[in-house]
Amino acid sequence: MIENFKIDSNEIDKLKHINNDDKNFRIENLNSFNNTGFPSKKDEDWKFSDTKAIFSKNFRKLNLNNSNSKETDIKLIKDFDHNYMFLVNGKLIKSDFKFEDKSQIKISNYYEEKFSEKKSENPFICLNHALSNNGYYLEIKEGYKFEKVLVIYNLFTKDLSGQILNNKNKIVIKKNSELHTINYTINRSKNKFINNSYESTLLFENSKYKNICIQAGKSDGYFLKFSNNKLKSDSNFSSFIFSSGLKFYKQDINVDLEGENSECDIKAALFLDNDEHQEIKTKINHLVPNCKSYQKIKNVLDSEGKGIYQGKIYVKDIAQKTNAYQLSKALLLNDNSEFNSKPELEIYADDVKCSHGSTSGSVDENSIHYLMTRGLTKREAIQLLINGFLNEIISEIKSSSIRKFVENKIELQIHGY
Amino acid sequence: MKNTDINTNQEYKYGFTTEIENIRAPKGLNENSIKFISKMKKEPKWMLDWRLKAYSRLKNLKEPNWQKPKYPKINYQDLYYYSAPKSASKKPKSLDEVDPKLLETYKKLGIPLNEQKKLAGVAVDAVFDSVSVATTYKKELTKKGIIFCSISEAIQKHPDLVKKYIGSVIPITDHYFATLNSAVFTDGSFVYIPPNVRCPMELSTYFRINASETGQFERTLIIADKGSYVSYLEGCTAPMRDENQLHAANVELIALDDAEIKYSTVQNWYPGDKDGVGGIYNFVTKRGACRGKNSKISWTQVETGSAITWKYPSCILQGDNSVGEFYSIAITNNHQKADTGTKMIHLGKNTKSKIISKGISAGKADNTYRGLVDISRKAKNSRNYTQCDSLLMGNKCGAHTVPYIKNKNSSSTVEHEATTSKINDEQLYYCNQRGLNQEEAVSLIVNGFCKEVLQQLPMEFAVEAQKLVGISLEGSVG
Repeated sequence: MIENFKIDSNEIDKLKHINNDDKNFRIENLNSFNNTGFPSKKDEDWKFSDTKAIFSKNFRKLNLNNSNSKETDIKLIKDFDHNYMFLVNGKLIKSDFKFEDKSQIKISNYYEEKFSEKKSENPFICLNHALSNNGYYLEIKEGYKFEKVLVIYNLFTKDLSGQILNNKNKIVIKKNSELHTINYTINRSKNKFINNSYESTLLFENSKYKNICIQAGKSDGYFLKFSNNKLKSDSNFSSFIFSSGLKFYKQDINVDLEGENSECDIKAALFLDNDEHQEIKTKINHLVPNCKSYQKIKNVLDSEGKGIYQGKIYVKDIAQKTNAYQLSKALLLNDNSEFNSKPELEIYADDVKCSHGSTSGSVDENSIHYLMTRGLTKREAIQLLINGFLNEIISEIKSSSIRKFVENKIELQIHGY
Repeated sequence: MKNTDINTNQEYKYGFTTEIENIRAPKGLNENSIKFISKMKKEPKWMLDWRLKAYSRLKNLKEPNWQKPKYPKINYQDLYYYSAPKSASKKPKSLDEVDPKLLETYKKLGIPLNEQKKLAGVAVDAVFDSVSVATTYKKELTKKGIIFCSISEAIQKHPDLVKKYIGSVIPITDHYFATLNSAVFTDGSFVYIPPNVRCPMELSTYFRINASETGQFERTLIIADKGSYVSYLEGCTAPMRDENQLHAANVELIALDDAEIKYSTVQNWYPGDKDGVGGIYNFVTKRGACRGKNSKISWTQVETGSAITWKYPSCILQGDNSVGEFYSIAITNNHQKADTGTKMIHLGKNTKSKIISKGISAGKADNTYRGLVDISRKAKNSRNYTQCDSLLMGNKCGAHTVPYIKNKNSSSTVEHEATTSKINDEQLYYCNQRGLNQEEAVSLIVNGFCKEVLQQLPMEFAVEAQKLVGISLEGSVG
């Protein structure tokens, strides 16, 4: 069933808010999804995350029904002051920017804005382009810096079961502006479903965007996120990924460094166990000279956890004086866990500094021994070492209240070990 | 150096009574041409059956297209799959007829005149005969029980060994080019080292009688029995004159308990001219199996030639405590494309592998390292260390690194490092100051960059390879 999953074109007619131009684009994308179906390990980009196999193993049936849930109650994070946006199954319900000058912010449903996207080879992007009907558009006007962090609550409701949700978001940060967001996922459904989201961000000159991705707890949802980021000159993009706890997550990050002196920074600290399967795939395109990119991905893998990192740095021939760095490290705690990585470099300019490293192995026996001689049990010693391993990433969060919040979340994970 | 089209020579003459020099297989890839090859080689039936099995499998295979270097489509039906040694009349009669540029390169490499003739494919007269050298070596090898002969000879004289090991590392069910080779291979080397024998010399195709003209589908099989050691050299530093455009060789190595095989390659085939016209496609499948405990296979390669090089010498580490090594230098200039690397598949306990790859790109060339390190669940306490460095000269060329790393074992450690950079201006400046010109300076720095790999080559080879590194990059700087 799932292997030959196809979508009828009348699904597009069911969607609201679409015009004729839009409709043709959607049909075109739907056809290309129907031609390929879910990608499998035969597709190079999906080599380590065979969605065809994973979905047919876990889903008997998939549907495109909208949830009718009226759930809107959530507990706001109390650890720090923040603005918030509230999404239910991807749909923007509410937003509150009480700490900001509201005239500097534009927020709307995504379909109120014109989206022009290019066709893609990625079947999930095609699916998204064809069927996305929820999401938000956020724009920060020129020269405005956010006072407080913006938390985007993503609630997935109890009634979800077997759905494929498609949503699309866009963030635009104009010249000299600054935004800091936290994507906070709360999943109430005990059933399996697929969330397929597409996000684009556009950073204008000298702007800054920081994002942290984290969730409230364990979740049986299957998440796919594709993000497309364009950076103009002197802009700065940074992303922290702490997505432990999701059953399946593939985050595909594309960064185009289009303006000189732009910088991008991607960091992840993950603790995966219980059959969790997570992949981080990045592609950093250095298109102009004097840009910097930095990636550091850390994985701790326990019982049947599977971590994947596919990172690619592309340096165009004119992009001289590029500085690109990529590191992935994994700790394997169990013989059923697995770490696969493919750190790739594709370089056409000669005056560059590009390097990558990838290591995987067990927790250092000598360190465990040392800690045990200091009176810790073996379990405590390992916990401490894992904590230290992941903390290297967490400690780079500047705001102390947010850092504490993230630390607590991660610690909960590790104590399960 | 000319790259004559092999099809323009002469037509197939029906009947098998003609002199061997004129015999060719019928054009095209089909059962008849395979039967013809087998018949010409007087092969036993099992060999023919094996070839035909490979061919029937080939019919269902598609040519791979995932690799970075793209090449024009090859018409397999338009090739001759067997042609007996070409007669002397087709060869250049003396060195005067050989491309002067080629001779210049020989001079720089310091190759003796007689050897030059042989390399350039000049018909060797009876006076000069390296065969006598070879026969003396051969006597010594036979005394130790070492078998070193062509694979056709081995199929006839040592069928049990061949039958047991051929296709055991590269099965006929492998990828397109490997299977093609299994169906139509014409000749190659066979080496068997008996238990507890240390081969007293470096074995080289160069010393094997009738080693030249092995054709485009070469097959090599090397077996090191328990406790033995062998070092094998393939190719040579001098540019080879070659008439075939497609080379799809298969090399299989088998190391049993406590055995060690060291396989060194220097490949310097015709890379095409400055605009990328002509040149050889080198699509080689090389694979070694460390089948026994404590066995070791070490690949060393210096790849400077060919328009497209596409090869991944691999090690399957089956035996406990076995070791796999891969040392590589790939130099590409002008329009050359190299996509090379290795696969280290760890299956046994305490297996170790080490990969050192150095890629140098100049002109408009593309150089890719593509490798796989796979540590299976059972390979406890395994270790891998990978280092791949790339050097770029100019912004028209590319250097790429595509490693695949899979670790399924918590007691194993995998480390991978890669860097890409250009030649340091300060180092160049320093060398210039000390009186070296630009090219000498580049050659010196590049040799330093490659040192870790060059050290792995047998002594004499290393000296020549060092010169070759310099020559390959001539004209790429300044």
